[in-house]
Amino acid sequence: MTVTETKTELEEFEPNIIGFLCNWCSYAGADLAGTSRIQYPANIKIIKVMCSGRVNPMYVVNALQQGADGVLIGGCHPGDCHYQHGNLLARRRMAILKNLLEFIGIDSRRVRMTWVSAAEGRKFAEVIKEVTEEIKKIGPMKDIQRVNEW
Amino acid sequence: MVDQQLLIDEVKKVVSRDDVKYVIGYKKGTSGFAISPAFAYSTEYADKFIFNPLCKKNLAAYPLLEDKLPLKREEKEDKRKIGIVAKGCDTRALVQIIQEKGLKREDLVIIGIPCSGIIDHKKITAKFPNETAYSTIEEEQGFYKITINGKVHEIAKEELLADFCSSCIAPNPVIYDVLIGEEVEPWNLEEHKNLAVLEEKDVGERWEYWKEHFDRCIRCYACREACPLCYCKECMADLLNPQWIRRSVNLSENTAWNIMRAYHLAGRCVGCGECESVCPVNIPLMELNKEIEKDVKKMFEYSAGMDLEEKPLFGTFRPDDPEEFIM
Repeated sequence: MTVTETKTELEEFEPNIIGFLCNWCSYAGADLAGTSRIQYPANIKIIKVMCSGRVNPMYVVNALQQGADGVLIGGCHPGDCHYQHGNLLARRRMAILKNLLEFIGIDSRRVRMTWVSAAEGRKFAEVIKEVTEEIKKIGPMKDIQRVNEW
Repeated sequence: MVDQQLLIDEVKKVVSRDDVKYVIGYKKGTSGFAISPAFAYSTEYADKFIFNPLCKKNLAAYPLLEDKLPLKREEKEDKRKIGIVAKGCDTRALVQIIQEKGLKREDLVIIGIPCSGIIDHKKITAKFPNETAYSTIEEEQGFYKITINGKVHEIAKEELLADFCSSCIAPNPVIYDVLIGEEVEPWNLEEHKNLAVLEEKDVGERWEYWKEHFDRCIRCYACREACPLCYCKECMADLLNPQWIRRSVNLSENTAWNIMRAYHLAGRCVGCGECESVCPVNIPLMELNKEIEKDVKKMFEYSAGMDLEEKPLFGTFRPDDPEEFIM
């Protein structure tokens, strides 16, 4: 493979990003970005969860196994959680998970977390842009691709 | 070094109490350097009890295996306590289980044993591969004196000591009802070997390292079965709906399993090394556990199983938890 070929292959790579967004803030933020007609990359596939504290770390691992190149977890700002402190519990979990993935050799930049409130449509679009750019740089996730379904 | 007679006397005293059902401890195994768990239902069983540096098995898992059968009509619930012989790490496991309300403190009689390090079975069997029995094993000033067939072998402690013992923070029991012998001096803590080497490497090299190990995993789940803290009635790995981990043995599922096992012990692992020593393919699982333990200590200033009153790590939060990684 020549250098130019590699470059074009990377340029064409469109990452798959799974977004676990909380019902009350981040999902509403994404909704606002949509209704305000803000442009952001279409690489994110959103899954609505009731709270970022609902995100089991195995969701992240399973997503990475099943073809996601990156995972984004969105929650309310600290103190704004609809369930008092779900996002603060999620923050602890994800801090440990990211370090564990990094130690095992899975780039921890693939797993991101963000606080987006329902009023921050623009911030949501910027976060998606940033994450997509970064995952494009890291490249596709092939190491732990699930090979069969049984 | 623990006085054997003192231990036996203490076990006898505990087991003869009316409110104690039985005492769990160690006895000599059937061959080689093996040790097996022993159960004393009455005083005559207690004579078999031993404690020496080979007693590696963490007995904290046993009180959880107690079957609670449905009561027959007019039958009274057996509320007697269980006695347990426990080293430092075993008591940490017990504290952690009590914190999580898996056991009750008042249901246990803990016979604490100060421990000055445990011999790695894999290391000692490699040293004496053809021996089928030993008579005594004693520790003296940095040496193990092992008597086999009347011949005394002196081996430096570092050669046989299990790797994870060098980073043990609780050589003395954290909680106990009876303590056998004197408390030992805590030793200088060293980081688990290989951690620093792995952290130096970049992500790709680390993946190459773990890929080689995870590829060998046969998913026998021995690590789960041996772990005193993996006591869920229904493990996530066994669930079929949702099926978190597929049953096929391949790199992807093995990695997911090992991430899950290590993660579920985050802030709970007490560093007893059971998982690693039972692993049939020698995956260095303690490296994963110790890495998480280090992160937890650094980020949340939390050590598992040191304080009965503490809340579990993932059940609490602090407003100033680290959040540099959040956008």
